[in-house]
Amino acid sequence: MFGISFLSPLFLIGALAAAVPILLHLFHRKTDVVIDFPAVSLLTRAPVPHRRRRQLRELILLALRIAALVLLAVSFARPYLAGAAAPASAPVTVVVLDTSMSLSAPGQFARAQQAAWQAVASAPAADAVALITFSDAATVVVPPTSDRNAVRSAVSAATAGAGGTRYRTALASASEVIGVRAGRVVIITDLQQAGWEANDAGGLLDGVAVRVVAVAGPTGNLAVTSAMRRDRSVMATVQNYGPDEARSLVTLMVDGQQAEQATATMAPFSASGVELRGTFGDAGAAQVVIEDTNGYQPDNVRFLALDPSPAVAITAVVADPTGAVGGIYVERALAVAGGGGEFVVTVVDGRVLSKWTASELSRQAAVVILGTRTLDRHGRELLKTYLVGGGQVLLTLGPDVDPGTLTDVIGIDAGVMPAPVRSTDATLVATDSRHPIFRPFLLPSGALGDVQVDQHRRLRDQAGRVVLARLSGGDAALTEQAVGQGRLLVFTSDFDNQWSRFPLQPSFVPFAVETARYLTRGRQQRRDFTLPDVPAGVPAAPGTVSSGEGVTARRVVVNVDVRESSLSATSVDEFTNNITRTNRAGDRAVVDGARVAEERQRWWQVGLLMMLVALVGEALVGRRAA
Amino acid sequence: MAGEARYLDPAIVARLATIDLKARTIVEGFLTGLHRSPYKGFSVEFAEYRQYLPGDDLATLDWKVYARSDRHFVKKHEEDTNLTCHLLLDVSGSMGYGSGPITKLQYGSYLAGALAYLMNRQRDAFGLIAFDNRIVSLVPASARTGHLRAVLLALERLKIGAGTNVAKPLRDLAAAVRKRGLVVLVSDLLDEPQSVLDGLKHFRYRGTDVVVFHVIDPYELTFPFEQSARFRDIETAQEVMAVPSAVRQDYVERMQARIAHYKRELGLAGIDYCLLDTSQPLELGLMAYLMTRRRVL
Repeated sequence: MFGISFLSPLFLIGALAAAVPILLHLFHRKTDVVIDFPAVSLLTRAPVPHRRRRQLRELILLALRIAALVLLAVSFARPYLAGAAAPASAPVTVVVLDTSMSLSAPGQFARAQQAAWQAVASAPAADAVALITFSDAATVVVPPTSDRNAVRSAVSAATAGAGGTRYRTALASASEVIGVRAGRVVIITDLQQAGWEANDAGGLLDGVAVRVVAVAGPTGNLAVTSAMRRDRSVMATVQNYGPDEARSLVTLMVDGQQAEQATATMAPFSASGVELRGTFGDAGAAQVVIEDTNGYQPDNVRFLALDPSPAVAITAVVADPTGAVGGIYVERALAVAGGGGEFVVTVVDGRVLSKWTASELSRQAAVVILGTRTLDRHGRELLKTYLVGGGQVLLTLGPDVDPGTLTDVIGIDAGVMPAPVRSTDATLVATDSRHPIFRPFLLPSGALGDVQVDQHRRLRDQAGRVVLARLSGGDAALTEQAVGQGRLLVFTSDFDNQWSRFPLQPSFVPFAVETARYLTRGRQQRRDFTLPDVPAGVPAAPGTVSSGEGVTARRVVVNVDVRESSLSATSVDEFTNNITRTNRAGDRAVVDGARVAEERQRWWQVGLLMMLVALVGEALVGRRAA
Repeated sequence: MAGEARYLDPAIVARLATIDLKARTIVEGFLTGLHRSPYKGFSVEFAEYRQYLPGDDLATLDWKVYARSDRHFVKKHEEDTNLTCHLLLDVSGSMGYGSGPITKLQYGSYLAGALAYLMNRQRDAFGLIAFDNRIVSLVPASARTGHLRAVLLALERLKIGAGTNVAKPLRDLAAAVRKRGLVVLVSDLLDEPQSVLDGLKHFRYRGTDVVVFHVIDPYELTFPFEQSARFRDIETAQEVMAVPSAVRQDYVERMQARIAHYKRELGLAGIDYCLLDTSQPLELGLMAYLMTRRRVL
């Protein structure tokens, strides 16, 4: 529902000028006297307008004059349509009702509704009342209105969902509803501690009063915080958030059928792992269910898909596959990732790749270039287009790579010195061990120290290139840089056990896997989602749904954010102190928004046009009356 | 207006106390002014002496003065008659209208009183009939001493009546007046013109002379109103919404046409017609009367 607001409401005072024609009209009516006259029989009626017609004409004239003056005043006041039904100047009481999962304990939301009804009833009589419900997102359910029954009805219709708590989002929405008016906010919530998301933005203007109505939570809560398939069983974790020891039946449901049941006992504030063995196939939709009659309800179920993860396609380009060694170490290393199904590696030489189309290559999540000597011009162009267009490429600089044509392959001059450098027994050293590629090597420490590199190619320093690892001699071993929209990793030795014995080291497999994962991050088809982050087309509610069509079809599961399961709550004072306050200078944004809206709508021009029409009409009617 | 003549102004006369005083003031003022007018010799009463001039009627020469002073003086005197005069005064509602200090009825009353006073001085018998749509007051004609007072008292007591119906009283009076004489009608004639004319012609058929004083208010002649208003007829309460500027010309033309109609039709019937605007001096009325009387005698 939209309401009219004014950019310069003081000009509306000018509408009082409409009283002038009214007074003149009344004065004119007063002088319309009766005159006693003896020779009335000699007065002709012909040129005298009929009294009623004349009165109607005078009323039309009056209306036109008033309309012209009012339209003039309204036009100068710069009207625009704003998103509020109540007058923009009226003070407003915004009732902000928490509908997150932490209000879903039995009877808890009913108490919250009761508090909301009381907040509506106790709002000052002159105030408009608005209702906002919030969990992960805030929704203006009822814009500012004087119809309090509508607000009460909306409160009755509200329910607690499975979403998390985002206080700043709710406050930002309340601030937007209040705008530049006087206002107060009544927040009805359980004071969930996890509701103050650090990345959120939003607060209230100075002077906006806040009243926090705390709705007490349950004394305890059990939640299934994780569930994952491990071969022929499902491992579930049940967390006890309460101060008392708890026991619960844990049931595994597969495709709607009970597959297994176990009993879990959880110490106070502790979690317990439960292994659920059962007979189930390679695919299916499962859920782990616990019994918790006192706590929050949505976290009593955890959904999981039993389907194997779809493999990520990676192509390894070698100089000559007939040599039987090109790419074999990479292929074998990636074959074990994710239990053997995470990656599918295709090894091709340059001649085969040259027959591919750009579309075929674009379906590869990453390309590992181990040799370029058999690449023809088309093959080089394909790889360059792939990389610049957003592809992920790992380039090794072993003996099968021709430095002379490398610029044609990757589209840039990588600064590769053609002559190999002999580096006896050089080892790898990560420059930043927190990098995702080197994260597995944090423990045990020094695993990369076993890597032995005999030869490598030296790289000239280049801007925009990041060295991720160096050889013990100081030369770059692994670098990362952006090329167009793509990403290029360069390993300065080889992966084929010619210049380096790295492929024979135990650290090669995790290195290759993590490098592949790093390159293909975001290209994997994710299956597990946590509210509220769900992909397009998937409902923002816990459950298992099918997404995509054809070859991209997959089963995805959506679960609640278990941070919401915690019973930890802030105090009212802490809550109030956490509210970010902006001074009235922040009104500037509101005013600017109003100005932009007004300039876009330009109702003042319509008002002036209507005023001109009214004046023309007045002139025509007035002339006829004269 | 200066000297005695200012007393002929109807507004001045209205301030005088009684109708008796008003009538005397009007007539004396009129007669004083008449010294300088060519209308001397109408009365039998002595008026004045003046030096004989060649051409004067020798019969008017006062020989006694000549014997005493050896100078020729002509004796001017008022004329003596036995005329019976009936004063008909319209007291209908429309006569109550007055845009200025006096109404048409007041003006007519002063005129009737002055005429009565003048008739009394000339020894004429006179009577008064006041009417609206009927006769509301009747003082029979007489030349007795003290009759003037009765007529003036009757004039003093007159009140505004109902609607005008000139024709009916005129017919009644025409039947009642048997003796040849003079009928003086003072009215605003706001009746059906043909009815009025028919009524007056009855007198003429019986040989009675008639003089009509058409008393009219200046606003009735010019319709000078400016603002739009509802005009309500004083007698019938009929209302007409009018914008004066739009209807003025038509109204004035209609009024002038009616006056012209009366003047023409009454002239054809041998009836004297005198239009009197209530802002005009009353001497015009007296003068008209004297002219008619002269013609009658």
